[in-house]
Amino acid sequence: MNSNHIVENLKREIENFTAQVKVEKVGKVLEVFDGIAKVSGLSDIKSSEMVTFPGGETGVVLNLEEDAIGVIILDDFSKIKEGDTVLSTGKILEVPVSDNILGRVVNAIGKPIDGKGAIKADKMYPIEKVAPGVVSRLSVSEPVATGIKVIDAIIPVGRGQRELIIGDRQTGKTALAIDAILNQKGQNMICVYVSIGQKDSKLRKLQARLEEGGAMAYSVIVSAGASEAVALSYIAPYTGVSIAEYFMDQGKDVLIIYDDLSKHAVAYREISLLLRRPPGREAYPGDVFYLHSRLLERACRRNEKYGGGSITAFPIIETQAGDISAYIPTNVISITDGQIFLETDLFYKGIRPAVNVGSSVSRVGSTAQIKAMKKVAGTLKLDLAQYRELEAFSQFGSDLDDATKRQLERGKRSVEVLKQLQYAPVKTAHQVVTMYALTKGLMDDVAIDKIKEFEQGLSEYTERNAKVFYKQIAEKKMWDDKGEEELKKVIGEFKANFTKS
Amino acid sequence: MSAISNNNIVEAIFLASKESKEDSQFFHKVVHFLAKKRLLSKSKDILQNLNKIINEAEGKVMVRVFSHKKLDENTRKEITHALSKRYGGKTIILEESLDEKLLGGYKIEVNDEVIDLTIKNKLEKLQEYLTIVS
Repeated sequence: MNSNHIVENLKREIENFTAQVKVEKVGKVLEVFDGIAKVSGLSDIKSSEMVTFPGGETGVVLNLEEDAIGVIILDDFSKIKEGDTVLSTGKILEVPVSDNILGRVVNAIGKPIDGKGAIKADKMYPIEKVAPGVVSRLSVSEPVATGIKVIDAIIPVGRGQRELIIGDRQTGKTALAIDAILNQKGQNMICVYVSIGQKDSKLRKLQARLEEGGAMAYSVIVSAGASEAVALSYIAPYTGVSIAEYFMDQGKDVLIIYDDLSKHAVAYREISLLLRRPPGREAYPGDVFYLHSRLLERACRRNEKYGGGSITAFPIIETQAGDISAYIPTNVISITDGQIFLETDLFYKGIRPAVNVGSSVSRVGSTAQIKAMKKVAGTLKLDLAQYRELEAFSQFGSDLDDATKRQLERGKRSVEVLKQLQYAPVKTAHQVVTMYALTKGLMDDVAIDKIKEFEQGLSEYTERNAKVFYKQIAEKKMWDDKGEEELKKVIGEFKANFTKS
Repeated sequence: MSAISNNNIVEAIFLASKESKEDSQFFHKVVHFLAKKRLLSKSKDILQNLNKIINEAEGKVMVRVFSHKKLDENTRKEITHALSKRYGGKTIILEESLDEKLLGGYKIEVNDEVIDLTIKNKLEKLQEYLTIVS
């Protein structure tokens, strides 16, 4: 484009332009501190409305008082001075959304931060929205295949469910979530990962990992880093869910991960205390429950009449020394439809993912589990519970009857089967075969240290040889007598070969 | 009970002043009261609010006009006329200030409302528009 052309273009644009002058409401900055501004004037302002400062910084109104308002500043606040004029915009804070956002990393206000250029926005979505009502909802009945055996078999998650991942630091909470994202390839699922107050190095690693696994093609990362303003940490999850809603409005299924909501609560506590709202338990403000409930309520499954689509949420909570009865964990446990509880002890025992099967539940997921999996894994939870009881008991004596011994052996194998490496999601059909072999006792005579090898070999062998069974699982989610017969025969063949070698 | 705000105090002073018009000692008493309640540090805000309340009660609107050069009589009349229409026939009191940076036109401030008719504002709007378009 030569310079003449540019000038011509500009001329045309200037001719088209008409300056719209309207009455604007203005306020004056009374004080600025720690990312908060007190502003006078602006008499007709709404709560959570956007305001702009002279330097182009944006803020969100959070407190409405008699003669001043409290504004949280979303940008660098060091250039804002006392006496600056503040303009209201008349708009609730909104984020740009479009299909181009897939594969990108954006910050809490939807601006790209991955250095891949601007994202052209199709629409603006307000970050605060009332969750869909009862009429537009549908109960959870479609599974989310996480590819993690212990979750898919024992704590199944359905589309539209909210399943909490809770545990101490370094127990593999994020790893679980990332594995779930990696397994969504080809499952018709969009993933949104919201990182709240995390180290940028961790985010970078995660992004690289997702790119390597080809998962960024259907994922968005929303990041509010630890070094950014605390207000951004506060709004990041709402931005994430707004992006998710954009895809849900197209009838798509979305998986959203909030990593983690304890940091979100801490960010909100900081803002609230600075705004001089009265502190409550653990110094959190009174509406910290509503903070999370209104966020998680936006996860839903809508019926066809209202456009379909779903948002499945995996909020993550970090506990201190396994204390799940602290304020925020209990709040979020009561909001969600179940929790996956990770334990340090299990982690160091080598049981990874370190899921405590006893205290983990999925309150609505069982209706979403595929029939075949329900059939094979139905007794697994009970087996494991009994095993744990017997395990403690059996340490006192060696004179155990055969039934007890059998149960112990089965339990040990169950635990072994449920172990899984990171970044290695397992296909649902493979899981069904493994669980089938386990619960039918076909693994009882395999040595424990050979279980992993057996499982691996079995999956490969059956996929090649039990074609009928695999077809049935893929199509009908259940086998019939013919498929089962074939599977039994193939497992028998494999075992014969396996024990020989 | 919530804390007593400046507005409450101002309103009280205003009402009291209406009742005790003859009392020459009234403002002396007010200052005394403020000193006793340790509110003298807020006297600036209180005075400002008092002004606002009195203006409202007397049907006056304080208007600040910024322009890059002195307003002529015609414009002044026009502004007064337009504003008194807008604010329901109240008396308009103009307070003029000069600001070279506005380049042209004028800017009107009424309480927390601003009507910006300056060239500067229009140029800024144009800049904004052009960056969005291109």
